[in-house]
Amino acid sequence: MNTSRPLYKPFALDPSGLAHLIVTSLDTPPEGIEDSFDNIEVWTVKHAGPGVPVLAAGGIRPFRSTTEQLAQLGHRLGRMTAGLRFYAIGSEAFIWDAYNIAIAAGMHPSEIFLHRAGPFVRRVYCSHCRTMVEDVPANIVTCPSCEASLFVRDHFSRRLAAFMGVKVDAEVPGEVPAAEVFTS
Amino acid sequence: MKLSLKPQETYRDDYTFSNSDEAILRFPFPFPEDGYMYSVNMEPHVRGGATPVYDKVFDVDEHYIGDMADRAITLDQDPLRCQVLPHMETAEWDTLELLMESLANDYPEHFSLTKNGDKWHWINRPLEIDQTFTFGRKETLPYDPFEYITRQMQGDFSLQDQRDNNLYMDGGMVTSQADWSLNFDVGMSFHEWHGPVPLAHQAGVFDRALQYLLRLQYGKPVRRLNWTMTANPRLDTSPENYPLWGPEKAAITPENVGHRMCLRVELQTLHRLPRSNAILFSIRGYLIRLEELVKVKKWAVRMHRVIRDLHPQIAEYKGLPRYRQYVVDYFAPFDDGRTLNSGIAAEQDSI
Ligand code: HEM
Repeated sequence: MNTSRPLYKPFALDPSGLAHLIVTSLDTPPEGIEDSFDNIEVWTVKHAGPGVPVLAAGGIRPFRSTTEQLAQLGHRLGRMTAGLRFYAIGSEAFIWDAYNIAIAAGMHPSEIFLHRAGPFVRRVYCSHCRTMVEDVPANIVTCPSCEASLFVRDHFSRRLAAFMGVKVDAEVPGEVPAAEVFTS
Repeated sequence: MKLSLKPQETYRDDYTFSNSDEAILRFPFPFPEDGYMYSVNMEPHVRGGATPVYDKVFDVDEHYIGDMADRAITLDQDPLRCQVLPHMETAEWDTLELLMESLANDYPEHFSLTKNGDKWHWINRPLEIDQTFTFGRKETLPYDPFEYITRQMQGDFSLQDQRDNNLYMDGGMVTSQADWSLNFDVGMSFHEWHGPVPLAHQAGVFDRALQYLLRLQYGKPVRRLNWTMTANPRLDTSPENYPLWGPEKAAITPENVGHRMCLRVELQTLHRLPRSNAILFSIRGYLIRLEELVKVKKWAVRMHRVIRDLHPQIAEYKGLPRYRQYVVDYFAPFDDGRTLNSGIAAEQDSI
């Protein structure tokens, strides 16, 4: 049982919201939202060719990367509509980055809904040199900066939107066990 | 008894740290029974009790000067070992006041505090500090108030804000931790920062402990003991520096285990702070080499039984498996099968 890692409910729109902003790191909106509510804005991640944007259409606005998307999120939430509900769908790192931006923009936690989706990858914080390693698929990863083989501890920081990585062979250099692929 | 301080000892490189016979006898041995399991082991922090380290609100011992020198080295290399979130400034002053008043009251020969309205005069004789400042005005101190005072007090500290029926670790001074990181944990709630601990969540330990702490009252501190083992008397066993101290664990052998291996006990005390309503958590660590510990017969016998029978998940979490058998073998010859009294008292007056 891990209690630093949050539990996520399946995606559903909050009926008490007057407007809904859904940001997802996936290339398609979540299923079944089209006809359920008015005032829905969806941000996805998709490109039409190397560097080429896909134009917004029908309430769906694609970005070329999650970086581009999150860079605009603070600005969008700065002109917030009353009764807005905010939803983030994607990897744990993505949804907690989005959460932290929403909180900084003045939203209340009760107006924010997070849903983990997509491949089981984690952002890992290197405890030694503080580098963030993105999209890690298994519980052992080499830090690209200080070169330590990191064991991914089952310990998640919402502030850093990252799991804790600690040198796996600190005691006997080279003694690195086989990595296990994440299944959650 | 008057407290005499040793000249500076080291907690790294040549590891000159050692305990006098008096320090061994006052060691807070953490095992009242022959076995160990996580529990809500909290009691009021009143003076007196099973070990002399309970006699003062904040215990100072013979290692004071070396402890503070080691903290200064660690902070110099990594200033983020001390962090306090901006909304905790009132709690910083609360902490400074509590620590200064306690030290001056409990150790008048070493510390003194004189107040003239908000003009305060603090003297720390062992560290040769003589400071006048204005309470509530941080620009009158060389560091922010929490860092200023915790650079002068043994043990780690964390500051918990209380809101939404929870506690949040919104600050700390953490330079001698058992493998956890303030920089990673800062801002977490009670159950989040306890995430990596095995067994205790399922047993409801953290639910009950949190309920207890939320009701903690000003002027009624509580305490508990926690423990682990450390290869060499090293204070900085942080995740950040694991690549430095990890190899020292692997260098433990049956021959050197008695000298190098240490039992590390934390006297944890929790104090409600008056203005901020925050909770100050003090983690006062004590180290003892196994060859020092066996000078107390009862403790040697009990250590053998506790380490031998320890739950494998707790042993794993504390990082013991690599040398656990050496420790058990080291203590085995002391265990003649006798029945031991409950309680942690040494039950001997001299060594
Ligand atoms: C505000 C007060 C407290 C703070 C700041 C605190 C902090 C911590 C931290 C940072 C850890 C290390 C977790 C890791 O591995 O990353 C820990 C471990 C632990 N804590 Fe707490 N704690 C507090 C109160 C308590 C209380 C009241 C209990 C009472 C039952 C408790 C029981 C434990 C236990 C059993 C462990 C595992 C220790 C081990 O086996 O070495 N804690 N705590």
